[in-house]
Amino acid sequence: MTESRNDTDSTEAGLDLGSGADLSRWRTVLARRTEGRAVALLVVVATVALVLEPIVFTSYEVTLGRLALIGLVALGLTAVILMGELDLAVASTLAFSGVVMASIDNLALGILAALLGGLVIGVVNAFFVVVVGINSFIATLGMLFFLRGAAFVLSGEEPVRLVAREAGIAFGRPLIGPLSPRILIFVIAVIALQVFVTRVRAGREFYAVGGNRQAAYDAGIPVRRRVYTGFMISGFVSALAGVINTLERTAADPTAGGSVLLASFAAAIIGGVLLNGGRGSIVGTLIGAASLAILQVALTLSGVQVDVQNIVIGLILLIAVITDPTTLRVVLGNARALFRGSSQAQPEPG
Amino acid sequence: MTTTDAASTDGESVTALEGPGAAGPEGFQLLPWMADRGIVLFTVALVLFAAVFVDGFASLANITDVFNRSAPIGIVAVGMTFVVISANYLDLSVVSQVATSAVTLLAVSNSTGSVALAMLAAFGVALVYGVVNGTAVGIFKANAVIVTLSTTFIGLGILRWASGGSIYFGPNDGPIRAFGLAKIGPFPLSMLVLILMTLLLSYVLRRTTFGFMVKAFGSNREATRLAGVNTAWIVIGAFLMSALGALIGGFVLAAFSNTAVSTNGTGYDFEALAAIVIGGTSVFGGKGSVLRTLLGVVFVSVLSNLMVLSGLGFGVQQMAIGALIVAAVSLDALARKAGAA
Amino acid sequence: MKMRRARVVGLMLAGAMVLSACAGDDTADDAGATDDAAADDAADDGAAEGDTFEVYALLPQGNDQPYGTTYLPPFEATAEELGLNLTITNSQYDADTQASDCEVAVAAEPDGIILWPAVADTIRPCLEAADAAGIPVTITNSDVLEEDQALTAGYSGPDTYGQGVASAELMCDLAGGEEVGIIMINGLTGNTTAIDRENGFEETINEQCSNVEILARQPGNWNKDESQIAASEMITSVGIENIDGAYAADDTMVAGVIDAFKARDMAVEDLLITSIGNTFLGNPLVLSGELDGTVFQSSSWDGENAARTIYEVLTESPDERLVAFMPDVKVTADNAEDPAVAPEW
Repeated sequence: MTESRNDTDSTEAGLDLGSGADLSRWRTVLARRTEGRAVALLVVVATVALVLEPIVFTSYEVTLGRLALIGLVALGLTAVILMGELDLAVASTLAFSGVVMASIDNLALGILAALLGGLVIGVVNAFFVVVVGINSFIATLGMLFFLRGAAFVLSGEEPVRLVAREAGIAFGRPLIGPLSPRILIFVIAVIALQVFVTRVRAGREFYAVGGNRQAAYDAGIPVRRRVYTGFMISGFVSALAGVINTLERTAADPTAGGSVLLASFAAAIIGGVLLNGGRGSIVGTLIGAASLAILQVALTLSGVQVDVQNIVIGLILLIAVITDPTTLRVVLGNARALFRGSSQAQPEPG
Repeated sequence: MTTTDAASTDGESVTALEGPGAAGPEGFQLLPWMADRGIVLFTVALVLFAAVFVDGFASLANITDVFNRSAPIGIVAVGMTFVVISANYLDLSVVSQVATSAVTLLAVSNSTGSVALAMLAAFGVALVYGVVNGTAVGIFKANAVIVTLSTTFIGLGILRWASGGSIYFGPNDGPIRAFGLAKIGPFPLSMLVLILMTLLLSYVLRRTTFGFMVKAFGSNREATRLAGVNTAWIVIGAFLMSALGALIGGFVLAAFSNTAVSTNGTGYDFEALAAIVIGGTSVFGGKGSVLRTLLGVVFVSVLSNLMVLSGLGFGVQQMAIGALIVAAVSLDALARKAGAA
Repeated sequence: MKMRRARVVGLMLAGAMVLSACAGDDTADDAGATDDAAADDAADDGAAEGDTFEVYALLPQGNDQPYGTTYLPPFEATAEELGLNLTITNSQYDADTQASDCEVAVAAEPDGIILWPAVADTIRPCLEAADAAGIPVTITNSDVLEEDQALTAGYSGPDTYGQGVASAELMCDLAGGEEVGIIMINGLTGNTTAIDRENGFEETINEQCSNVEILARQPGNWNKDESQIAASEMITSVGIENIDGAYAADDTMVAGVIDAFKARDMAVEDLLITSIGNTFLGNPLVLSGELDGTVFQSSSWDGENAARTIYEVLTESPDERLVAFMPDVKVTADNAEDPAVAPEW
């Protein structure tokens, strides 16, 4: 299994479209990329939204805001999933960090404590995975419960208001053009993480760790350290999301993050991330989150009854996840073989 | 079958609570033995501790409460065990299935006067869920988490649209109410249903070819496929088992309160998974048992019961359950490491 | 590559079909929007009868809760009557989702916004954004914080804090000065309605009848089955002989509490039990004497007045904040059969 799906020698931007050889090379690079399905979905959703609910694009800052809401946590999650691990605790990390921040009167100190808390949570998660040796699904499931409880205990089961309320409201206002600080932070996060997993050696090794852990060990990659880094990224990003949400809301809600967990998984998986690790990209998650954001905003604007909205989102998600190109090939191949009476099944995707 | 039960890849017991792992050539090894039977020890220890130190725990009324707590979630969990053993993480759609089952039971029996018809209708819905989930995961090889997430969205959307979100309640003298109230000593009928389901599903998992295939598939997909087995049917079967658990769990839940609403079953997905995992079934798949799940359910129910008896608040309860999940699995992992060392 | 093309086409067909099927409902909406541009200009000069207004309703519940289910039909009917074109959202009590819904609403530039805050502490930024865009906002069901009220044009609804107060007053009357121990079942932990009712009840008990003591409390999560189990366990923990009564934050939960009492062979008629709602589950219990008092909450009043209040604001542009309180009608065995308090949900 190849280490990385990102061919850093031949980024699309750097290719010269002159000769036929380059063109076929480009096709190869694109074919290996995992975001194809996400792009297809995005095109569909964006086109339909453009036609039926143009406000999605004319008030693009609203859609970008929704994207930042779903996408920030999804980005951190992607870093963990690339390594073949899972972080279910992101939702509670978000809520807990918000509560921590609001519980401290000094705003700067509160933000610092919250972000630090996110890092610590990441370290604890990684500890259980690496040192104790538990499956990350279970470890983070336990943390999900634990942190949710902690958020309730710390907040007294009620929302905690920010002392520096005005600062919070100011944070929610547009900063550069119509873009609010949330969107700008999100953009920075996307760039930072994309650079990290594609250009920084430690980040690129995430793919190796996820693709074949034993081989990664044998290749001399400090797997444990990478796992710690990955969980710390996820914890930090979730805490950051909690800080941003709390600032914009001017209060911390211990029940926050309910919809975030599954939406961010959906965004990552639509974006082509493989839950077993080793495959996927930050860009893919971004595209997946964008599809979901446009879909949600368009549906809200359309005034369609919420039950129907959920059915639509569920159907689109189901179709998107069923139509993985490699498996469709296998399924159709099997179906063909069935009709031809042949007993030879095709090899399955890894 | 017993030979294959004993021969698992890492030498650990794949069956419920018997099998090797105790006396190897090195002699008796405490930690692996504990890890295997840890959950039994813990449960027994917890119950004894509670009976002695916590006022009122050992009373008949409280035992009934523990059973009432365990029944609906327990039935769902034993069904979902099949999905976990097949290495498909979990079935998120049990949430909407339980709600649909409960609402269908009461709504249809209220309007047609026939409980049997209502159960049939609910059974039909469960079939659809099981087949859709199983097909998407088994034939299209899609990720189970996302598939069951999407079927939850679709299912709840349809349920709310169809039921209008109202609360349904059965007549006070109806058979459903009677079932919900019936007890044999401190045992509510729902507990007997749980035990029956556990025995039935345990039999299926341990003694039928299907059950064996589910474990084989969970522990090594590729090998199972290469052996010529139709893996799609295994997955569909696993999700059908989960659907069965959610179906009966929904019935029992509706009978207990004689009401049903689309918010029933909230949280059952992760709660069931927690019980399954605490019981000792591995999330990686291939190893575990239905009996273990029952133990996990009992353990979690007793713990929750104790926490309420001690007057602990909701936040503390959640923290305790989270810590417990991690502790239980940690012990298992550490013991395995020590045993392998 | 052929596979990819087939998949893309398939996805496009599926997606387009699904989305356009649903959007078919709102071509009327889009047509209405252009009509409104003209109507708005007319409205500035002085509203005429028969204008249509574009109104966004930001709600935290809908068909996913029994109350919301019976709130929506009268809401939508009254809105249609008054010529309000509603776009309804449901944030399911998630503050972040509601904030995002609010951004969408403000971007759509409707004539007015009806807001039912999911979490009152977090709603101010939404109010400010609407205010900056010149969109009047009226509040329904759960009012905003006092310091934020100036940003809103009106409020209609029951007062969830006041409901807790009313139920507590019932309990105080029932206790009649005696030392009484009760168990308390609250709504979903962290939910605003649950918090308000709990605070309203407890603070009133402390002020008006401190002879009533809350012996234990647990969340019932608005569920009958969870309430029954929690109540039964609290009975065990507190001691059956110490319990003189119970309070639950809604009738569905109190039904569970009563079942728990019955299962323990406790004389329910002698116990002091109060709750909130006077629902289909609760009303019969009042009539049978098992439930001693509840507080009527009319979802239809709530829904109708939500529409009426925004209509008044849009057509009359009053200077002062319009406030319409749904009276907290206490329901006991005396008035339980009164049609004015007939259960609605």
